[in-house]
Amino acid sequence: MVSAVHSSSRRAATLCALALVFAAALALGSGVGAVRYPPGDIVRAVVHPFGTSGADQVLWMLRFPRVLIAALVGAALSLAGALLQGMLRNPLVDPYLTGASAGAACAVAVALVLGLALPALPLVAFVAALATAAFVAALARTGSGISAERLILAGVSLSALFAGVVTLVLVLAPPSSTSLGILAWLGGSLSGRGWAELSWAALYALVGGVAALALAPALNALRLGEERARALGVNVDRAHWGIVGSAALLTAAAVSVSGMVGFVGLIVPHVARRMVGSDARWMLPACVLVGAILVVAADALSRALVPPIELPLGVLLSLLGVPAFLYLTFHRRTA
Amino acid sequence: MIDVRGVALAYGECVFLRGVSLALRPGEVLALVGPNGVGKTTLLRAMAGLHVPAAGEIALDGRVLQGLTARARAREIALVSADGPLVEGVTVRELVSAGRLPYRPWWRWSPAPEDAGAVSEALAHTQLTHHAERPFHALSSGERQRVWIALALAQRARTLLLDEPTSHLDVRHAFEALRLVRAFAARGHAAAVVLHDLNLAAAFADRIALLGAGRLLCCGAPQEALDEELLRVAYGVRIDVQRQPDGRVVAFANPNA
Repeated sequence: MVSAVHSSSRRAATLCALALVFAAALALGSGVGAVRYPPGDIVRAVVHPFGTSGADQVLWMLRFPRVLIAALVGAALSLAGALLQGMLRNPLVDPYLTGASAGAACAVAVALVLGLALPALPLVAFVAALATAAFVAALARTGSGISAERLILAGVSLSALFAGVVTLVLVLAPPSSTSLGILAWLGGSLSGRGWAELSWAALYALVGGVAALALAPALNALRLGEERARALGVNVDRAHWGIVGSAALLTAAAVSVSGMVGFVGLIVPHVARRMVGSDARWMLPACVLVGAILVVAADALSRALVPPIELPLGVLLSLLGVPAFLYLTFHRRTA
Repeated sequence: MIDVRGVALAYGECVFLRGVSLALRPGEVLALVGPNGVGKTTLLRAMAGLHVPAAGEIALDGRVLQGLTARARAREIALVSADGPLVEGVTVRELVSAGRLPYRPWWRWSPAPEDAGAVSEALAHTQLTHHAERPFHALSSGERQRVWIALALAQRARTLLLDEPTSHLDVRHAFEALRLVRAFAARGHAAAVVLHDLNLAAAFADRIALLGAGRLLCCGAPQEALDEELLRVAYGVRIDVQRQPDGRVVAFANPNA
């Protein structure tokens, strides 16, 4: 996809506009659900955080952590996708390439079969996601660096292996809460997540996010090809390890609290590039905001469409987001 | 000055070039010529510190290249690789600004005043000032090649290495690219250029390094390096060389010989 060229002032204005939309999405996401709250209630609850009214309780105990987790998941997956697409110079790469989500899904499936308690699942998923990504990176290692081709091959292969294990568990497990738990994980959901999950996922996502932003100049140099980046004094091997490491951390933090949420990490970097161009110093912050807005809005929709049923977040994102993206991309091209 | 001392180049166990010794001096343009696969590009990469020689050493002003950090090397030596990618979503100025990366600490995202000055100067030297805000992907091949040279000039390195900068260019644009290299050398800097066209090499280079048969066959003035016997050893075909009244040499392959 051809990215347009943008001036710095236009990019800054775009980021400001995105920040405003993000704030509106947070308010919208906090307001919708089984009980709806008007914006006035939300503002009051934010301004007076220790209120004792029913609205305050629901907003602070359930809604606020949930919309913040949605924002975190969207931002983290988008950032991870942008990092890997930039490193591999391949627009088809998504954050699940490192095998992190497939590893997490496999571990969750096994944990459910073993009867592990639900609150333990995010931690299991996080550890499995990081371990899988580390294994994929180790397989892709050549000399002191990481080979792009080997990373893709190792990631795709291990993801297929883990997907096979998950299917096997689904087939063999008794038709009970175990299968339902696995399916809920595969569909992606933020149901039942609270401050505890948010706090530690945010910590890891923050580390990955800061590392990602620090890698922006290296990512810009890698657009010119590895050889030219090296000639410009970039330590390409170190940049590759940094990119894979932060992408793995971001993906692990996201999937551990949300399960499999597809589409975001693949598509948001393209949207961000259209909005602010391909300079990573602007594109990465734009990815954070667009990804956060998208998942907060999708989560709100998942609760609002057929209440009190919550639709799977990943499914909703794919069903609504992909056609919208295809329309925007191909309609403009043929127009 | 870059000193290549008894260098052997290899990929894995396969040594393809041995015993190369030459010097790249300030103020000169050195052309590297020879058949495909002889190791011209690898020698250029080794001179940029991106390929470690299997034997011998390459020094920059007396310091062995491998002992320098990547950033320190990039401030001294700029490399223009062959066939640059078609980068989308960036202006010419933004792309040329990447030449300032060796000077920019990782925490500073915006360019410093001296960066902006170096970029403007590089754009002016390459006659790209009026294209500065255009998207890179909308430029012609010749203009794109000038952008890659501008990026290297923005590095403000004293040595410029170019790998086939005239491939895909017509005669006029090839001349333009090589005139930029000559102007760079005229400012007291050193440039080495990998070229396939022997006549371009003879016209624009002060000296020619002729590689062939796994070694450096000759490194000297065009009249010396473009020797029919040496060219036959290098390329395995007959190449006739004519000396013009003004002292220039012209080489042309003779397919009937």
